[in-house]
Order: sequence, then C-alpha cells, then structure tokens
Amino acid sequence: MRRCKCEVKGAHPAKAGWPRQRQSQQQELGLEAVRVFFMNSDDQLILEFQHGAREAFVELFERYREPMYGFFRRRLDYPARAEELAQECFLALLQNVERYEPRASFRSYLYGIAIHLVAAERRKAGREVAENEKLDSRAVGGNAAENNDAGIWVRKALQHLEQSEREILMLREYEQLSYGEIAAVLRMPVNTVRSRLFRARSALKNQLMPVKD
Amino acid sequence: MERNAQHAFDAEEVMAYLDGELEARRAAALAAHLVGCSECQEVAQGFRALSERMLSFEVEHPSAGMNETVLAALESAKASSGNTAKAAAAPRAWQWRDFVVHPRAWAFVGAVVVVAILAVGIPSSRHVDEVANSRARSEKSNGYKSWLSKDGTSLEHPEDFADVKRPADPLPASRGAIPVFSDRALPSGPPPPVPSSDGEELKAPESVGPMIVQTASLNILATNYDEASAAIERLAAAHGGYVEKLDAKAQTGNARELTAALRIPTRQLDGFLADVRKLGHVEEETRSNEEVSDQYVDLQARLKSARATEQRLIELLGTRTGKLQDVLEAERELARVRGEIEAMQGQSAILVHRVNYATVQVDLSEEYRQVLGSGPSSTGTKIRNAAVEGFTSLEAGAVALVVFVFAVGPSLLFWLAILLVPGWFVWKRFRVRAQG
Repeated sequence: MRRCKCEVKGAHPAKAGWPRQRQSQQQELGLEAVRVFFMNSDDQLILEFQHGAREAFVELFERYREPMYGFFRRRLDYPARAEELAQECFLALLQNVERYEPRASFRSYLYGIAIHLVAAERRKAGREVAENEKLDSRAVGGNAAENNDAGIWVRKALQHLEQSEREILMLREYEQLSYGEIAAVLRMPVNTVRSRLFRARSALKNQLMPVKD
Repeated sequence: MERNAQHAFDAEEVMAYLDGELEARRAAALAAHLVGCSECQEVAQGFRALSERMLSFEVEHPSAGMNETVLAALESAKASSGNTAKAAAAPRAWQWRDFVVHPRAWAFVGAVVVVAILAVGIPSSRHVDEVANSRARSEKSNGYKSWLSKDGTSLEHPEDFADVKRPADPLPASRGAIPVFSDRALPSGPPPPVPSSDGEELKAPESVGPMIVQTASLNILATNYDEASAAIERLAAAHGGYVEKLDAKAQTGNARELTAALRIPTRQLDGFLADVRKLGHVEEETRSNEEVSDQYVDLQARLKSARATEQRLIELLGTRTGKLQDVLEAERELARVRGEIEAMQGQSAILVHRVNYATVQVDLSEEYRQVLGSGPSSTGTKIRNAAVEGFTSLEAGAVALVVFVFAVGPSLLFWLAILLVPGWFVWKRFRVRAQG
C-alpha cells in the first residue's frame, strides 16, 4: 500500500484554500486538469456543479478524495468504515448540492458534513466502545501496526487530549483548515479555536516529550 | 513552556504566527522579534517539531472502489434528473433514530395519543354520565313513589282504598263482602265458586264437625313436563277446584319450572293429590291442618248477639215514639250494628271458604336432561359443542384483549413516551460523553 507522506512546508504550512496534496496531484493530472485546477477555487467549482457542470464535481472529488479518506481514517479504527464514510460524505454533497449556499468556504461545508458523519458514527459505536475499552485499544494497536512507531505514539497521545481540543488540533494539522474554517465547522468563536489549539498543542507536546527525548 | 513575563509576545501568538493566523502588523513585528530572540525561536522550533511529529501519523490511500461508487452515484444522478443530484444519493437505510429525533414524529405521536385518549375516554365518560342520569331518574321516580305512598297508600293498592271506604257505606249490600276481601290474593282467573247465600254455607260446617283449614305442598319432578303442566289445571278443574296463582319459568339451558297455587274442595283433596302424584316423582310432600273452629264459633256468637241487638233496635224504632233526637240516635246505633254484622259475616265467609277449599301448592319441575349428552351422535355433538365453546372463549378472550388494550394502552403509551424515551436519550448521551 502506498504511503501518503505529506511533508511540512516550512513554518507556514499551506494556507486555507488548497489541500496539501496539491503538488503531487499536479504531476498526476493531465495538462487540462491542471488548467481547470488553477482556474477554479473550490467555491467556484461547487457553484459550477450546482449549475450542472459534472466535471466540477469530478474535480472536487479528485481534490478531496484522499483528504476526506484521511480525515475519517484518522478518526476511526477500521479502514473499510473510513472509506464508506468518505463515500457517504461525497454522496451527501451530491444529494444536497441544490441547497448549498456559499456562506462559508466550501471546505468548512465539506468538513462540516464529515464532522457530522463522524459524530453519528461515534454515537452508533459509542455503546460498544464504552462497554469494552480493552477491545478498543486492541483495535487501535492492530491498526497502528500499519503505521510507523512514531505514528503510534502520536495517535496514543492524541487520544489523551480533550475531545474538542483534539478535534481542533487535528483539523488544523491534518486537514490544514484555517482558524476561521475550524470555527465555522465546529461552530465556535475564532478566539476559542486559537486558545484551545494552543492548549492542545501544549498538552500534546508534554505527552510526546519523553518519546522525543 | 516557561516564558519571560516581560516578553513582548506570548507563546500563543508565536503559534498563531506560525499558522499564518496573526494580524499582518503584529506578524511583521513578531518576525522581526524572532530574528533576535532565541527564546522565541525555541518556542517556534517546538511548534514546528510538533507539527512534523504529528505528520508521522500517516494513513494509507483509499481504494479505487471509492471512486467508482461516488462517480457511479454522480452518473445516476445526472441520468435521472439533469441538474438534480438529489436522487443520486444511495437511499440510506431507515433508522429508528430518524423517527426518534424528528420533532414532527413526536408531534404526530402526541397527537395520536391525545386522539386515542379522547376517543377512548369521551364515550366511556358519556356512558358513565348516562348511567348516572338514568340512576338519578330512577331514584327520583322512586322518591316520587315513596312520597306518594307516604301520603296515601291507596294509589299503590287500590283494593285498600276500597276497604277503607267500605265501612263508611251506611247500608252494605247483603250479598256480602267476600269478593272484596278474598279477591285481594287473586290477581285474575275465574271467580271462585263462592256460595251464593250466606245462611246455608255458614250453618253447614257447624253440623259437620270441627272446622279445619287444610294446606298441602308438593314438589314433583315431572317425567313429561309438558303433559304434567297441562294436567295440573285440568285436574284442578275436574276436582271442582281452581287455580289461584300460576307461575311458569322456562329459562334456556335450565330445567323448566312451574309453581301453582290451587284451591281444591276439601272433600276432593285426597283424590286430587293422588292424581297429582301420578304426574311424576314426588320429591317432597307436606300437609298441614289448622283448626279454626274456635274462631268460627266466636265469630258466630258475636254475630248472633249483634243480630239480636239489631232486632231489638228495629222493634224499638217501630213500637216506641219519642223525641226526634232519640229516634236519630237509635238509627245511628242500628247502622253501626249493621256494619258490624256485615264485617263479621264477611270474615265468617272467608273462614268457611278456607275450610271448604284446601290450598295446594304444587312445584312442578322438569327432569333436566343434558341436551348434548343425549342423542345418537353424542361424541360428534360433544366435539362440535367443544369447538363452538372454544371458538366462543377465543372470541371472548380476543374481545377482552382488545378492551384491555384500549383501556390501558393509551395511558401505557403516554407514560412510555413521557418516561422511557427521554430517559433513553439521557442515558445514551451520558454513555457517549463518558466514552468521549
């Protein structure tokens, strides 16, 4: 299985608007796709799709296929379920495209759907998880075998964070959402996002410190 | 993350700067500050290292199947309705949560419960009202009746009214008061063969001997009920008697019964009883005799003296002349004595009639046969009847269940909705929180 290693681009990771897989995708896509890609932002694409441009959706899907899968995969234990939910997320987008209003950015809209799906999934699975924590950790361990050692530590450290702080941190680090987008997705003030993000990073740093040393 | 209190920028701002979320002027100042401040550089380095570290949490690529599903959904959406992508979505399996969470569903359930309560409650309360009303009405009428009877019993018992009036009659007819007194017990039927003239009948028993009122009672289990019931009246007539009262009962599923009160001439009594015994098996027979000679003799003596007084008064009025007042007083006395004589004659007649006509009480009952037990195809009939009974009980059970459901169902549903569902929600949320 191929690894999707997303490198850090200096002190300023990609700003809001473009997913991180941009460069690798550029190489894979044809010239035409590159042209479409650069000419249209996500928000333009979704509006085009709303007006019947099928290619716009295909483009959006191409852009967010892997980020969406990653989003669910990092939050759920089973790859198959993550894939199902990512599909479900795109299907929901298809289903509700007529009702889409460009109030916030498309990314906050899309991740809003994803957050909702994950919450529903957790509610559904909540009982089993609460019933047997051991089972849960075993499942995590089993999945983590696919990751490298550092990944296991990060995953475990993340699990010790408070839920909303963890969510904010993950949306920032893995989904590369801006503070404003996170605030829109989670429906909280931007300042709260910033202070909680800081708390989460500090806590995670403390967790990972012994490993680091 | 220990920071100098005098430091111009705190760690959170450094973080925001690294995230590109700091306001432009502030960001520029921090950038300048970072160049010379090793402490802030260290903080920034810490954040960068953390971000890098976090990226070690990698995930694999999604499978190609995902593309196919989503693009297929897109295709079908296009095919079905041009721009409308709505129909493209794969229909999600219906879940209970959809129903539970939806406020409209709750409104609907509430409406159904209210309607059910009204539907079940109103007719029954109406029925209760009706019952109460009818009860009140009947009580009222009873009260009216009792009020009437308090004021004058005469309305309920017209005969009594006649009795009260009777003594006021100054000159009663000589034919006697027998029908007035004895008929009270006779609701209807042929008039009893009463002696036409007092003299003969009243004297006759004296010569016969002791006066005895005879009563007999028979419980007969008739072998042939129809024949026996018809025979009773016929036998009574044949022996010169009559039926005083007859009461026949024929309830379904029970043995038929006939109760008859007969008056039979005393001389014929033995013969009549012998004939009646032939009607069936005599289960019980009682006879009793009551001696009324002394009553009769006493009555006759008083009657005799009253008649003598009457005679003397008549003579007195005929022979003597005197003041008008005296004459009037004598007339009044004569009327009183005549009234007494009349009453005593009546009592005497009744007594004589009781002596002459014995009272016979016949209780005739049918020999009850189990209808199902008899008959040639008894086993088949039994099975059929059992099946019918089973069906009947099944029907009754079903009706009872429906009645129970309607009686208890609405309140049960109501309390379930009130107590259980919110409780379940709270529990669920609690579990999710505990887990989260």
